[in-house]
Amino acid sequence: MTPIRHPRRSGRTARWLASGAAVAIALSVTVVGALAHGPDPALSGGPFGQNQDLRFRWRSGSEPPTAIKTAITSAAAASNAGRASKAATFTYDASGSSPVGYGIGATCGVNGLACFTRSVPTGFTLWLREQGHVFDWGTMKWCQMYTTPPNGCYDAQMIALDELGHVEGLGHHVNLGDDSDYVDAIVQTYARAKPVTGWNMHAYGRCDVATLQILYDMPSWTARYSTCLDLATSLTLVADPAAVPAYGTTTLTATLKVVDSDAYGRLGGDPIAGRVVTLQRRTTGSTTWVSMGAMAAGPTAGTYVLAQQLSSDTEFRAVFHASTAEGLRGSTSPTVAVSVYRCIPAPSQNGSSAIPCI
Amino acid sequence: MPRWSGRGAAVTILCLSQLAAACTASGPRSSATRSDPTASAGPTKVVSETQAAGRTQGPSGSPASLEPPVATLVAEGGDPATGQLGSFTWNGGGSDSPWLPGTPLAVGSGERLTVALADDVGVSDWEARRVPAGVTDGIGAVRLGGGRAPVTFAAPGPGAWSVQVTVRFAGGLGSAVYYWRLAVR
Repeated sequence: MTPIRHPRRSGRTARWLASGAAVAIALSVTVVGALAHGPDPALSGGPFGQNQDLRFRWRSGSEPPTAIKTAITSAAAASNAGRASKAATFTYDASGSSPVGYGIGATCGVNGLACFTRSVPTGFTLWLREQGHVFDWGTMKWCQMYTTPPNGCYDAQMIALDELGHVEGLGHHVNLGDDSDYVDAIVQTYARAKPVTGWNMHAYGRCDVATLQILYDMPSWTARYSTCLDLATSLTLVADPAAVPAYGTTTLTATLKVVDSDAYGRLGGDPIAGRVVTLQRRTTGSTTWVSMGAMAAGPTAGTYVLAQQLSSDTEFRAVFHASTAEGLRGSTSPTVAVSVYRCIPAPSQNGSSAIPCI
Repeated sequence: MPRWSGRGAAVTILCLSQLAAACTASGPRSSATRSDPTASAGPTKVVSETQAAGRTQGPSGSPASLEPPVATLVAEGGDPATGQLGSFTWNGGGSDSPWLPGTPLAVGSGERLTVALADDVGVSDWEARRVPAGVTDGIGAVRLGGGRAPVTFAAPGPGAWSVQVTVRFAGGLGSAVYYWRLAVR
């Protein structure tokens, strides 16, 4: 496959959109190659715009009953609240361009509970089957249509959120062979009915979020990356100045980023702010690193600073430890050496190679 | 396909090709055909909005169709059975289904089973799993095989099984899940 560069910042959106289909393929290949747990594959067609507001209305003549409308609007709210990215949002609007229907006209094939179409950047369609629809495999029962939902019913809010995930560009999650990771994604190859585990998930799973983040980018540089991701990070370190007089001070600035990899989609090259980056130092010639503590937030996103006073030549490195709370790998910067020069009073400089004191 | 060799393999491949062609032309009617929205209630509105969403009608499995290609499961020397189509994503759309019971097919234990797709749609990779027939939640599924094309695996041990085959199509065209109910002797 031809490597594709993915733009990350504004101004490169057009190229990103143009490469959307290829992104889907790349994600697909990444995921399916393992046939195991990972971010959802991405659908072809590319993502919608970042934070694009997709407005939906009830399809004329095929309006859902009130209980199902509530489930669908709740799913839209859950998508907006749980996207953890700049994925498109969904808003009900009586004059919206994206119709959501219910019932007999559903174009969901003979076995589908629900279905969707997506047309980037215009909008989408969504259908839910009607209560009581008779399939080859049984009769449609939406849990929301009962005061006390019976076993075997399907949760309309979960199914609607599954469809909205598809609209965002998520393909069916590739589960582990025994489906033990079923709850890691709401966009699944098959729906579960009450009371089986996962039947009533009302938020995206972590592997849904992972792909939303890859497709749409992070909502902020301090936001947490999905634990379904496993992103390499890069950490660089600069000392300014790189040489100081004895007991002089140098400022170490570390920069933490997601590695700029094509496989990471929009996340590649992202600055990572709000994390703990530790500065370590050792006297040149020593092999033992000593932690000097956490570096403070720097002037730009993803930078961390700490000043150090030196009495002898010293080496520094910055360390970012991975956390189980998010899908970033730890990293350590290359070593940076700071030299300490001797100085002598001006009257004694003749014949000396030392640097004059200031 | 290590067990297929020489003339037998050639004949089998030819049969599969003919089978695929037959499915496309006038073979078993797929769920795609039966669910043709133009044959449903409110056809005018459905079609116009489908087209507005950038999707057009065409033969199942063709780039313009609403549903992915028909899949048939062939046992060595047996009759093919068209899979029951479950969840899929295809051509800018998709549908979600439960774990389905599957199309009945009787096979021998350990018999080599091969899935063929209509319309020359390529396979990126696939995975087959089975649960006891009647189970619809997928819990405790056991993997029967998977990987790159061809889609071929050994029938499970004696019993009644619901077999799910997930196929991801080449070229990022989408994915589909097909089901068969195997009576394994």
